[in-house]
Amino acid sequence: MGSDVTSPIDQDLAARAAAGARLSEADLALLAAVGDILALGALADDARRVKAGTAATYVRVLDVETATLGDAPLEVPEGATEVRLQGLPPTLEATVAAVTAARAAAGTRTVSGFSLADLVARAIEGWGDLGDVAAALKAAGLDAVADVPADRILDLPAAVRPLLEAGVLVPRVTVAAPVPATGRVDLLLRIRALQDATGALQACAPLPREVPDALPTTGYDDVRFVALARLALESVPAIQVDWVLYGPKLAQVALTFGADDLDSVSPFDDETQGRRRAAVEEIRRNVEAAGLRPVERDGRYGRLDR
Amino acid sequence: MDLTALQARIESGGRLDAEESRWIYREAPTPWLARLADFVRRRKHPEGVVTYIIDRNVNYTNVCVARCNFCAFYRPVGHGEGYVLGFDEIHRKIEETIELGGDQLLLQGGHNPDLPLTWYEDLFRGVKAAYPEFRLHALSPPEVLHLSRMSRLSTGEVLARLMAVGLDSIPGGGAEILVDRVRKLLNCYNKATADEWLDVMRQAHHAGLRTTATMMYGTVETPDERIEHMLRLREVQDETGGFTAFITWSYQPEHTERGGIEATGLEYLRTLATARIVLDNFDNLQASWVTQGGKVGQLSLAFGANDMGSVMIEENVVRAAGAAYCMDEVEIVRNIEDAGFVAVRRNMHYEVLGEPVFRQRDIPRVLALATARAEGDTSVPAELANYEARSAAAKKQRARI
Repeated sequence: MGSDVTSPIDQDLAARAAAGARLSEADLALLAAVGDILALGALADDARRVKAGTAATYVRVLDVETATLGDAPLEVPEGATEVRLQGLPPTLEATVAAVTAARAAAGTRTVSGFSLADLVARAIEGWGDLGDVAAALKAAGLDAVADVPADRILDLPAAVRPLLEAGVLVPRVTVAAPVPATGRVDLLLRIRALQDATGALQACAPLPREVPDALPTTGYDDVRFVALARLALESVPAIQVDWVLYGPKLAQVALTFGADDLDSVSPFDDETQGRRRAAVEEIRRNVEAAGLRPVERDGRYGRLDR
Repeated sequence: MDLTALQARIESGGRLDAEESRWIYREAPTPWLARLADFVRRRKHPEGVVTYIIDRNVNYTNVCVARCNFCAFYRPVGHGEGYVLGFDEIHRKIEETIELGGDQLLLQGGHNPDLPLTWYEDLFRGVKAAYPEFRLHALSPPEVLHLSRMSRLSTGEVLARLMAVGLDSIPGGGAEILVDRVRKLLNCYNKATADEWLDVMRQAHHAGLRTTATMMYGTVETPDERIEHMLRLREVQDETGGFTAFITWSYQPEHTERGGIEATGLEYLRTLATARIVLDNFDNLQASWVTQGGKVGQLSLAFGANDMGSVMIEENVVRAAGAAYCMDEVEIVRNIEDAGFVAVRRNMHYEVLGEPVFRQRDIPRVLALATARAEGDTSVPAELANYEARSAAAKKQRARI
């Protein structure tokens, strides 16, 4: 491009970032301060293509509220590849029962559930050693913890290790609340350190899951954090955006700013408004319109051939 | 196509021809398109300002004989949900708008055969008498044509009569895609052909009115027809210079006869960026947050838009088709500033009015857009008895007033 539209990012830094190299804290601080989101997005897109090529994965998840589990038999639709339990019951016994019920209905599908921050808190409050809690949940059929909110857990490796030792997967970290711009690099470096220590992560979902209605994050905020996550977490395979929480438009745009995985796609094949409006068709159309190739995956981040 | 050569031409202020315009829209990489659109925006607006307006979208009637198959808002003559707003209701909306710092109504409505030209003249005259400084950005070209056909006056005469009672400017609604093949398929050819729409705008410009231009895409048109639409606007703008801004949005399919699906967010951003490059004689491009949501609306500022459009206060047409986003002045300004721009309040002519109103005085937050009428309100304005109806249904209704 000509001089007037060149990227404001230092060429050496840009080359290393685009190649998916590990960046220093100082590098990341520079990138976090870049005002030109198009330049930052283009770098993240390059880094994403180095890691994921043109593929964009998605997973179809059946969310199950534990509070309503047992009201009716749990039926898992054919399209779901993950059953995700939401809401930690008040007792360990009830939690084990919920996992057992989900496991029975899920068959060979992945059963995930709960926030690690909640499990840590309950362990401290009296459920007992976190490793024992994890072992009980694993024995009941829990494959993976659903959320590891990095901004709510001070010592991430210490919280994650007992689960891994019990055989519970910890495939992704999430972010609970909006992170101020000044805190993003620190948070991402903590996530990178967790991956260095455990190698457990398959994905990071950097966009906050609890956003006040009166003060939502902005589009610039969102795509900037997605791009920064892609550039900071070179050792984490996927950068994820929640399809339902963030909506098709922002999620699709995020795919061009470094994201390569879409979470929470509906498992129901509702074609009452026409086939083109069914969940999978909508996902595939949006991914393809972003110039990428849609690939379905399962709850264990394995790509599906269908 | 040679991207480098095209880029050099765009950077030096050169114009793209039809083939080049079609090519960049269909084929150019999105980052390239975005960065060039951003470059053109910065060249036109180097001061780093993003503007917005506080006004209210008021739809004075939803009764319409045009029957466009992409519209979820209209009701046919005699339908139980058909309405006409009373003059007092419109005055009340104006007062609420003024309270929120607004100075204009964007006033559009259906092609109601039972509202003669005199109804519009009385409405405008009354508004200007009560609120002399308040602006009426009113009646898109198809509405002007409808009034011309109803009154058997030329469109020029209709415009002159409306200007005489206070019409300040004309919104660019009803353009859809300015290609007659498309208009026939959308059942909007009869309300205005492409030439008729453009001719009303020419007449308005020659009469001294400024107008906006719009494009609704994503129904049946091809990408090339979207470019044809832009080029037809560019031609008129070369001739008159009367368009203040271009606004594009995607077709909203919910509850419409046509149905189908909505174009994606990236398609919107690519369309906007292409428009910024192709429409080199348009100063202002608005972000359509009302159809794309606040986030993609804000991202529009990186893809060529320099204006966040209207605070809107009220919206009925897009909401009827499934979109219900809301941004009040606080939220619009927050999004502009978060993107690194200075937020400036403007009027329809893009004249600077000043800093955000909420920083000067307390104004209530608006977290949901108002609607034309409260749910279940079937009242009929008393003054309608003063106007002759054409349809049998309206004649009966008015006889009961």
